[in-house]
Amino acid sequence: MDATVKQIDFRRNTQGVPPNIPASVQKATGRFLGIRAGVVGQLPNWEELREAAHNIRLHAINHLDHYLEMMEKRVTEAGGQVHWARDSAEAGEIVLGIARQHKVKAVVKSKSMATEEIGLNHVLEANGIHALETDLGEYIVQLAGTGPSHIIVPAVHLTKEDIAKLLTQKLGVEAPPDPFRLAEIARQELRQRFFAADMGISGANFMVAETGTLVIVSNEGNARMCTTLPPVHVAVVGIDKIIPDWESLTVLLRVLARSATGQKITSYTSFITGPRHSAGEHGPQEFHLVLLDNGRTRALRDPVTRQTLICIRCGACLNVCPVYNHVGGHAYGWVYSGPIGAILSPQLLGTKIAADLPFASSLCGACAEICPVKIPIPEILLHLRHRVAEGDEQEAAVSPVLARAAARLGAMVYGTPWLYRLTLRVLELAQAPFRRDGWLPRLPAPLNRWTMARPFPAMDGRFRRWWAARQRGKSQ
Amino acid sequence: MATRENSREVILADVRAGLGRAPGAPVAARPAIPPPRALGAPDQEIERLLSEIAALKGNAQRLASADVSTALADLVRAENVRKATQWSTAGLERLGVTSCLRGLGVEIVPSDAGIKVFGDVDLGITEADFALAETGTLGLLSSPAKPRQVSLVPRIHLAIVPARAFRADMHQVFEEAKKQGYLVFITGPSRTADIELTVTIGVHGPKVLYVWVVDGSWAE
Repeated sequence: MDATVKQIDFRRNTQGVPPNIPASVQKATGRFLGIRAGVVGQLPNWEELREAAHNIRLHAINHLDHYLEMMEKRVTEAGGQVHWARDSAEAGEIVLGIARQHKVKAVVKSKSMATEEIGLNHVLEANGIHALETDLGEYIVQLAGTGPSHIIVPAVHLTKEDIAKLLTQKLGVEAPPDPFRLAEIARQELRQRFFAADMGISGANFMVAETGTLVIVSNEGNARMCTTLPPVHVAVVGIDKIIPDWESLTVLLRVLARSATGQKITSYTSFITGPRHSAGEHGPQEFHLVLLDNGRTRALRDPVTRQTLICIRCGACLNVCPVYNHVGGHAYGWVYSGPIGAILSPQLLGTKIAADLPFASSLCGACAEICPVKIPIPEILLHLRHRVAEGDEQEAAVSPVLARAAARLGAMVYGTPWLYRLTLRVLELAQAPFRRDGWLPRLPAPLNRWTMARPFPAMDGRFRRWWAARQRGKSQ
Repeated sequence: MATRENSREVILADVRAGLGRAPGAPVAARPAIPPPRALGAPDQEIERLLSEIAALKGNAQRLASADVSTALADLVRAENVRKATQWSTAGLERLGVTSCLRGLGVEIVPSDAGIKVFGDVDLGITEADFALAETGTLGLLSSPAKPRQVSLVPRIHLAIVPARAFRADMHQVFEEAKKQGYLVFITGPSRTADIELTVTIGVHGPKVLYVWVVDGSWAE
């Protein structure tokens, strides 16, 4: 994944979506939503948990400085080392520095959106260090040379036939299109790599400030492998992942897996505080925590958009989103996709780069209804649209001058009755050459963007005449 | 290293500026947490744990301590176990796990063996520190007597659960475990649905999970 994305063109990206994507994406999202509904229904106090989860996460973000300092103190007391990275470049340098210090050649990685965000694999690769993704889905997309298309199922866009072909090509083994055999091939391949790795890199689902503990959930067990076997463990974690204490976990762990995969809890949840205390218990000799800002402090400044940072990355909003379900993850142009990507990317990358994304939504509101931490996503989408169109205290407007002028002109026309009537007359006359049976099947550029897909209804201006006639009829 | 020191200050200053907080400003009380679940009757809790694990394709059963050696013999035969490793707890010793395995001709690999040797071990045996019936979850701590790889690297994990491991809810487990440095929750065998959403058991962690709730006072 490219960490130095220049400009996200959502419209163009959607045109490049392969035809099989909507069906395979919907198969996954439909499955998750179905199972989720079942496990959520078993909990009598789901709404109470959501409310508590929202309050706890917002409290943590609203006191972020306090909890970050506590986290740093506790990790250090536990024998770990804490690093602070303002941006991708700095985070990459820090990890590279640790790797060089230990003469690391082979890295095993468990799934982490933060490291995708900073393009860490490329940084390591460019310096002669191979970083191997070990989550099965991430491993597959790494072999394919693409990025993840779903936050929970990264290879959701590939069929078992695609994957079999890929493994056959890349590993030189006979790989049949059977999920069980393919998983077994990956297991055998990765097992030796886990044993040989000099360093394990992970993200974290939560950082518990109270004790300086990282919480990492996984189903495959690869996160445990990465954080147990190699002698050095480096965790790259966004500063937003902090929570106050272990009591908070009782709420957040309950809502996370249920929202993500419809499980009551994932197969494994690791709670890691610093490095091992003695060789006999296994685990890494050294533990490093890289606290990543990368635009998060910018998002904090605005109390409305700040709520984006309470996200726990479950992916439920992707599953329920009609737009995501039709275009898949890659159309969003960066690591975060779906509704959360549409609000997070413009804040982390800046509105200039991701101005398209707040508009990649129908504002249906399903995301806010399903969100386990109750992020008001539609409200934030509108807030960011306003930022794009007119600018606000955080950023200047980025929509084209012409579009802004057109919007102002439109407002004037709608607000001035005589001008409105005049415009209707003009448009009625102007459409005449294009009119066919009450429709406008073809219009010149740039209006053909609409008519390429469907005809536009011709304007009749009859309503006002009809209304006027009706009023006259009544008064007689 | 100078720039890193500086980054810390810059980030914290940016956070405070964004939030409008002065250094050391007071912190509001953490919002309320819904109360924990109540612990059910012991038999019910055991039944619930076993059924939750079975639903996740784990092999769960309740045994009398006298039946452990027979069950071990069955397991060794069924899974073709040649090498095993285990935690060194007083409970497992009292159950006679090591001598029983040796008697079955199983080689005992010490947990401090190198990964090349350890990687070939078939069976890892642990004694669960915690059990949560509601989700079918086991909690394992870490110490030289309870090494982490035993429940992770061998292709089969057998967790023996004493009655005293049961807790009502995560709240109680966390209260006891949070100062321990390491805890892992294990809920069923390793799994993935990454290829066409087909649930596949046994990816990187153990392929098979056995959970035996063993009655009696062996663990006291």
